Amino acid sequence: MSDSCIQVSNLLKTYKDITAVNDISFEVQQGEILGILGPNGSGKTTTMKSILGLIEFDSGEILVNGMNIQKERKRIIADVGAILEGARNIYWYLSPRENLAYFAGIRGIAFKEVKDRADYLLENLGLIDDADKEVREFSAGMKQKSAMACAFIHDPSILLLDEPTLGLDVEISRTIRNWLTEVVKKEKKTILITSHNMDFVESTCNRILIIRNGEIISHETLESLKEKFARKLFRITLEKEPSIQILDSLDSIGNVSCDGNTVSINLENANQIFPLVDVLKKAGVKLKDFRTEENDLEEIFLEVIREKTQ
Amino acid sequence: MKMINLLTAEAKMMYWSLRRYFFNTVAMLVAMFLIFMGLFWGVKSIGGTGISGDSLDSMLVGYILWVSAMLALQNTGTEVLSESQRGTLEQLYLSPMGAEKIFFGRAVANIVFNLIFITAMLYLSMFTTGRWMSINLPFLYGMVLLSTLSLVGISFMLGGISLIHKRIGAVNGILSFGLIGLMLLPTYPVTPYSFLPFIAGAAVIRNNAVSGATYPLWWYLFVAANSIVYLVLGLSIFKVIEKKARRLNKMGQY
Repeated sequence: MSDSCIQVSNLLKTYKDITAVNDISFEVQQGEILGILGPNGSGKTTTMKSILGLIEFDSGEILVNGMNIQKERKRIIADVGAILEGARNIYWYLSPRENLAYFAGIRGIAFKEVKDRADYLLENLGLIDDADKEVREFSAGMKQKSAMACAFIHDPSILLLDEPTLGLDVEISRTIRNWLTEVVKKEKKTILITSHNMDFVESTCNRILIIRNGEIISHETLESLKEKFARKLFRITLEKEPSIQILDSLDSIGNVSCDGNTVSINLENANQIFPLVDVLKKAGVKLKDFRTEENDLEEIFLEVIREKTQ
Repeated sequence: MKMINLLTAEAKMMYWSLRRYFFNTVAMLVAMFLIFMGLFWGVKSIGGTGISGDSLDSMLVGYILWVSAMLALQNTGTEVLSESQRGTLEQLYLSPMGAEKIFFGRAVANIVFNLIFITAMLYLSMFTTGRWMSINLPFLYGMVLLSTLSLVGISFMLGGISLIHKRIGAVNGILSFGLIGLMLLPTYPVTPYSFLPFIAGAAVIRNNAVSGATYPLWWYLFVAANSIVYLVLGLSIFKVIEKKARRLNKMGQY
């Protein structure tokens, strides 16, 4: 039996003559954090909302925990929490604790049943000291953390987070990131995230799905994406500026550029590092520093988009 | 049990909201008190000592009926709109209880809270003027809750329209004023008007307050059936329009 918590098959959604999502299929495994990346209007939110049953799609099938969203939506969402992009998600005139009580209540759960969980969430998200203040007094980060707590109050096994760090500063994004990765590890949650925050996705997600114009253009683990788009750039700082002869010798190994005593060389594969070291050794040049540079997710994302556009 | 937890959440939400907007709550209570005082003193000054107690009773009952009817009629449409503006509507749709139960719970909480306020202000007015009315409040409130269910049904239809078209204030206005006129139509024994929402129940309440009229059991059952039919119809229409809103992705938009 498949370990998939979410199975999206051939999802198609159109609005009049615009195709928002075009025949996409993917799965999210239990205990996994899957990130969906894509430019604005690429279909990320439509996909999210289709999984939540907030949007009726034209064709395809979505199974969550083995149940069909079109047939058993209420049973499915009982075990799902979500934060939606561009919405407040919670009541700003209430306190975080009141919001938690309300959102538990409208799910049919008495607050006394989730009181301990509410305290746990408030404590872990750093909201406990402000739990009885009005949310509207909070910073954007605190508001988002309050919304996050509400999405987790019923202890769902699946979380859908649409742009959870939008407009947040680095510190808050990091807090949320650390908390999410810890929760996944501890509580075996399955999380689907869309975000423009590449650092956040890179440090949180196991697999990345890149969508453009409603179509999946890449669906890989972060490692394989990095491997595929790896930039084998070596930056070598020498003790003194290299001679023309040395640069000519290095140029026969890889593409070389030089800035003072720093030489950057782009190699086709990592094994070419050995002849490079030999050249420097023979010339009697001493190394001060040696670094390899990797593409970060943002560069990979842009490269994937560029590659598929060509 | 789940429904009780939901109703409790809605009642708490109402309480928190009243507490948070304390100034508005006080202003609302003062306005209610002034209206009651106006009714007491206004009637006294117009009718002098010759005015019968019954006509004052009927005016008070008419006011309570009208306020409750307006609340029931406008509740869901207004709530859908404000949830949409606040950016919390879609979160309500993520409740496994269903948004219709949440809005129903909210309408009930709204009407009950207002009846509590009305009672408090009514008694305060009676205490202030020293004129005590002979209104059968349990009967009045029972009938108000029963008959306004039909308007909650209409409110769900408006709520559905609000999901797609957002602002429906003008429609609310037309229906609210229309209702005042319709409430004067004869309904007993069965006339074509009896099948309109709320009208039959309103007549029962008004006639009971004015002349102490009572009706056979079948008529109360008719009023109950009228309410249930409109409530079910309203909920069904709400669900149909909600489906359309999902298809058009209008849920979270304002």
